[in-house]
Amino acid sequence: MRNVAIVGGGITKFGVREASWRDLVQEAGKSAFEDIPELDRKDVDSLFVGASQPERWIYQTHVAPLVAELLGIDVKRVISRTEVACASGQSAIRYAWLSIATGLSDIAMVVGVEKMNTKFMNISQTCMVNVGNREFDGVNGFTAPPFFAMVAQRHMHRYGTTKEQMALVRVKNAKYGSMNPYAQFQKEVTVEKVMGSRMISPPLTLLDCSAITDGAVAIVLACEDIAKKLTDTPTWIACGVQVVEHAHTVNQMGELSEWLALRKAGKELYRMAKISPKDVDIAEVHDCFTISEIIEYEELGFCGKGEGGRFIEEGQSYIGGEVAVNPGGGLLSNGHPLGATGVRQAWEVMMQFRGDVPKGRYVDNAEIAIAHNLSGMAQLHHIMLYTRDKLRDVKFSR
Amino acid sequence: MRVIKLPDSIELPTLLDPWDLQEPNGADATGIYDFYRNLADGDLTTTKCRDCGKINFPPVIVCSNCLSDNLEWVKIPETGELYAFTEMRLGAPLILDQLAPFIVAIARFGDYPDNGVQISGIMFDTKYEDLRIGDKVRWEVVRVEGPGDRERYWYCFTKA
Repeated sequence: MRNVAIVGGGITKFGVREASWRDLVQEAGKSAFEDIPELDRKDVDSLFVGASQPERWIYQTHVAPLVAELLGIDVKRVISRTEVACASGQSAIRYAWLSIATGLSDIAMVVGVEKMNTKFMNISQTCMVNVGNREFDGVNGFTAPPFFAMVAQRHMHRYGTTKEQMALVRVKNAKYGSMNPYAQFQKEVTVEKVMGSRMISPPLTLLDCSAITDGAVAIVLACEDIAKKLTDTPTWIACGVQVVEHAHTVNQMGELSEWLALRKAGKELYRMAKISPKDVDIAEVHDCFTISEIIEYEELGFCGKGEGGRFIEEGQSYIGGEVAVNPGGGLLSNGHPLGATGVRQAWEVMMQFRGDVPKGRYVDNAEIAIAHNLSGMAQLHHIMLYTRDKLRDVKFSR
Repeated sequence: MRVIKLPDSIELPTLLDPWDLQEPNGADATGIYDFYRNLADGDLTTTKCRDCGKINFPPVIVCSNCLSDNLEWVKIPETGELYAFTEMRLGAPLILDQLAPFIVAIARFGDYPDNGVQISGIMFDTKYEDLRIGDKVRWEVVRVEGPGDRERYWYCFTKA
């Protein structure tokens, strides 16, 4: 396997954008190429596009060649679009990494994009309800908020987790989001404001939920010798895993407050890289809802099972705590354009390693970062391990 | 200038509503049509593997455990236990938004997971505030009428 690094990238402002899917791709792509002045665009030999539902939101399929056209990329090796709902973006990164690591590609662009806002919000919700098993769960109203509301209810029931603890996750991520000019929401909030916001699906209020968002991110990956020519600050990809435990339908999910697939994925990743949770400096985790981040602390091994509420209460997931979780504001502040989110997490890690973020949300001396992207009703968990230098030669053990 | 005139409204394609087309024959046919026929007859059922004993839900034409296609239809016990619930207050999808707000629930019937199922359902005739985890619930068959003279069947939950 060859070493692979992220050499640069660009992002659009996330939010309710007066911009089309195509506009977003061009904005992000242009910004990525401008970020890597040494890169000759014609040397990009592969393209991976993470996009969840362009068929439903913009009635367009076969989008990878459309992106190649919009960005003037002449693909000679591999081109594909990846879809695993909310983690479509990280999957695109994973395949780009593997394509370069195996020697098939040398330089690959990864674009994550979603256009989710239309005039008809019930159409957007229809897209979301089809992420679960449409015929058997979607039909019963299983969009994300009711599902994660029941996850929260079970976690509260079993472990005594409180709504205040959940609100504290939003308070932390809003603090870092207030220093992120690309985030959909850039205002700090209080526990009272979170708990007093409009009830969506009890116990989840509006501010317990990430948003329906438009946005795109593009990054460029390259093999080691090329990466070193293109940048002085490469972000190395050490390894990555995906684990599915629950399959797809509610009947397969067992206890909702236990995310066994994530527990397995975390253990597998740490084993492959020969590190422990304590070695992680930055964790970009999939806080689609406040309760998600609490469960992720637990299943990723940052604290014991059931102790996630206490972990945020003690401030352990702030910069300066046990591990800096979502120093870019997470999905809660950035919003969640499905295909773009996993690529944004990688972009955020790159910006942290380069020191290109404001002081208030900069994680000093960070060497090891993980990015966790989940998809659907938390059935499938995806983790990538990024490193500034330390683990770049890790040849993960099988 | 040449004009292309569009109709004022276009009939909603049926696939944009969440219920399966439930057709026994033709291009829209489903191999688990008996699930819907049993619902029409008043029974919520699923497939059980005659070879390995696994109960699959949703029903299937091949057992996901042993790949056998030697399956039988079994009735899901009429009463079960409320496992989790919430209320869809904001953000319902197309068509279901006409029912909002409504209770969304998960209930366990039989001895889950070895000899039972954990299934989702909309719960009628109760308030969110009146529900507790562990409450006894029962499933009930509902008829979905329309568009036009189409009749389809589904199930919901009520408090037992």
